[in-house]
Amino acid sequence: MRARLLHEFLQHAEGQEPILEIADLHLSFAGIKAIDGVSLTVRNGELFAIIGPNGAGKTSIFNCISGVYRPQEGSIRFLGRDLLGMKPHRIADLGVARTFQNIELFPQLTVLDNLMLGRHQHVRYGTFAAAVRFGRASREEARNREVVEGIIEFLDIQQHRKSYVLMLPYGIQKRIELGRALAMEPKLLLLDEPAAGMNVEETEDMARFITDIKRELGIGVILVDHEMRMVMDLADTVLAIDFGKPIAVGKPQEIQANQDVIRAYLGQEHSVADTGGTT
Amino acid sequence: MTTTADRSAAIASPASRVRDRAAATPDLVALREKNRGIWREFTWTEYWDRVETFSHALIAAGIQPGDRVAIHSDNRPEWVFTDLGSIAVRAVCMGLYPTNPVAEVEYLLNDSGSRLLVVEDAEQADKVLSIPVSDLQHLEKIIYIEHRGVDAYDDPRLMSWDAFMESGAAHQEAHPQAVAERMASTEPSDLAYLVYTSGTTGPPKGSMITIENLEFATAEIAGDHGIVQPGPGLDDLIVSYLPLCHIYEKLFSVVFGTGAGVPIHFGESLDTLVADMRDVQPTIVQGVPRIWERIHAAIQVRLASASRLKRLNAVVWLKAARHIGRTLVRRHGRHTITTRFLARVGDVFLYRSLRERVGLRRIRYAVSAAAPIAPEILQFFMSIGVPIYEAYGMTENCGVATVNRPGRIRLGTVGEPYMGCEIRLDEETGEILTRHPAVFAGYWNMPDSTASTIDEDGWLHTGDVGEWVDGTHVRIVDRIKDIIITSGGKNVSPSEIENTLKTSPFIKEAIVIGDRRKYLSALIGIDFEVVSEWAQRRRIPHTTYRDLSEKPEVRALVQKAVDSTNEKFARVEQIKQFRLLAKELDHEDGELTATQKVKRSIIEERFADDIESMYR
Repeated sequence: MRARLLHEFLQHAEGQEPILEIADLHLSFAGIKAIDGVSLTVRNGELFAIIGPNGAGKTSIFNCISGVYRPQEGSIRFLGRDLLGMKPHRIADLGVARTFQNIELFPQLTVLDNLMLGRHQHVRYGTFAAAVRFGRASREEARNREVVEGIIEFLDIQQHRKSYVLMLPYGIQKRIELGRALAMEPKLLLLDEPAAGMNVEETEDMARFITDIKRELGIGVILVDHEMRMVMDLADTVLAIDFGKPIAVGKPQEIQANQDVIRAYLGQEHSVADTGGTT
Repeated sequence: MTTTADRSAAIASPASRVRDRAAATPDLVALREKNRGIWREFTWTEYWDRVETFSHALIAAGIQPGDRVAIHSDNRPEWVFTDLGSIAVRAVCMGLYPTNPVAEVEYLLNDSGSRLLVVEDAEQADKVLSIPVSDLQHLEKIIYIEHRGVDAYDDPRLMSWDAFMESGAAHQEAHPQAVAERMASTEPSDLAYLVYTSGTTGPPKGSMITIENLEFATAEIAGDHGIVQPGPGLDDLIVSYLPLCHIYEKLFSVVFGTGAGVPIHFGESLDTLVADMRDVQPTIVQGVPRIWERIHAAIQVRLASASRLKRLNAVVWLKAARHIGRTLVRRHGRHTITTRFLARVGDVFLYRSLRERVGLRRIRYAVSAAAPIAPEILQFFMSIGVPIYEAYGMTENCGVATVNRPGRIRLGTVGEPYMGCEIRLDEETGEILTRHPAVFAGYWNMPDSTASTIDEDGWLHTGDVGEWVDGTHVRIVDRIKDIIITSGGKNVSPSEIENTLKTSPFIKEAIVIGDRRKYLSALIGIDFEVVSEWAQRRRIPHTTYRDLSEKPEVRALVQKAVDSTNEKFARVEQIKQFRLLAKELDHEDGELTATQKVKRSIIEERFADDIESMYR
């Protein structure tokens, strides 16, 4: 029996409609500007990358989208609804899933349980039904397990199914985080440095997973990463920011050629080495 | 119906057996496959349905009798559908090892002249697609099983498995009798398989295995006089996990499956083998020495890291096990009243749980073959209640030659000839010669090699030197070409020493050197996992394989294993010097064959400096 493709068991999107529209976003902490006038649009099937030096505000944008931070100005619209002021769990319910820079899993639970927890907003039965495990509860549990097993197959982590997360190598934990986000059947996926701290082979695997997700589910994906080669290979659109300010937006080739970007980010290390550090 | 008469007149083959079982026992389970966490069943009806549809698709694709059909995949039901579907239309199935790199894929496809190739997924598809089309003259169609990634390719030779099977179903609709007619014309001399021998020297050679070879093998090993009484049957369980392109796994997954009706199980992947074995708890287990060595090492490691109480229990019962093992070996596998009692009680305290952990709780019998194994390993398994029998055979005789049997075990031998097998030793060289209907038809397109392997009287020259033990059992000394003659003129069999070294859980590879030299030395590769755990417990920091190998503590650890090996051998056979390999040997780097056998000539070339340093 062949492996199922993701769209055979997860919600997928068609077309290239805009799903996320951010306009003129401003966020500051005690007077320090973290995000300074960022606007962007992400469409279905688009891999949108945000790059910038450390502390440029990339993760802050994720935190605004997922409702952890409340921006002072601007708007965030997801599928036509205003996300500002909405609680994080409501935003997750709408179909925004994310992974974290520092892995956020339940280390003392098994891989399977972590992934099943990712299904919690797809649980519709009540406490009583759960207690007797009958009818709807057992049907839904089986359906959720089907989805989770499909994800385990996709990520090729069958041998870790019953392992405790804390026992697993870092690269595998990163995969499981991606799996947990997928289990939520997102319409928009936010990936915060999915390849951070990985070796070459693990990075290639991760790049392959992201490509497959994009191709098979057709959902929008926002990617933040330092692994330049991976970002430039995968992304359809790249937004470069520096000190919270957008510098440039465009196709990867355009961004790589953009002088401001080179100065602010790509060239930073070179200039330090070449000219003695005048940025 | 006339078809019944036709069938009985026609030649039987593994494919016809699936068809007949589908008719006789349609609802019994033939195959199980673990998929997304669940074991899914194929009944004999479903099994035959898939095979027949695949056969129709082959005919629809223009495959003629004698054409070659290749498959490049891990073990899975589609593998046996391809295998038996090819046999049904009188085509020849050629399997590639999943680890075969691009250059070997190109060689094998061209040498065999395969017209159609089944690939498992994007990884294998990428290999064949990276070969320029003009360099693959014969290949017309590539069937891919997994869609992920491959769907997006636009090579005109590509077709998905699902689409291929649909074309088969359509053909069946239009020509319902086409496969039956093709099957009815099967001849005993038809080639069923091209099995490429991994070749420790020179390019791989395609052994031609005929229907007659397979039928003889089926009668010998899947029948009641095979290894144990009763023979394999419907209540047995087998896990398919060794490469299916190798004759050894074919004997189990195909011959035992179709010949004796044993349900065959396909696990999720090679990485999940232990979990899959634990799920199935198979009754018959086929293994190569490396597998038995690894299970042995895993048990040792687990016991070493157990709690104190458990360790105490283990110490007591392993001591008892050693007594049981020694007695069994002395009595050729038969218990005394005392050891039977000890084994029963030991089962409750330790042995059963040890077996359960590695999936051997219900084991009826286990086989070790394909390479020589250290007697100590066999004795260990016998002592914890795993009846294990060493057997001997090679691709060229369809894996059928000798086997140890219950109550007649001679440890250190490969057992007695099968009933229908003639075996003798060459008077001069001591080379083992076999003659029986499973001796292959020769090497594909290599008449010279064939002539030097099968003589005029039909004897197969195995290339192994053997000797008789007690006039009934055969002991393998070594490969003729591997025997070391020291500068002192002594003949030494390196594999025996190497296998003794490998009984240490810390040692994964050992290559003994010494031809035309004044003493023996060895290149040794550590088992990274086991040694790494050992080092962690002793708080020895390390990073890579090389780094770990260079630690003085590790060298001392290996020295101990070398010393205890030396105690078991005569002076001329003792290892005076050794070096630890700085890298893990690998098939893709050309150091191991696809079956993980060491290519001596390559090793001696690559590690020439290390070797010379031991004789300075």
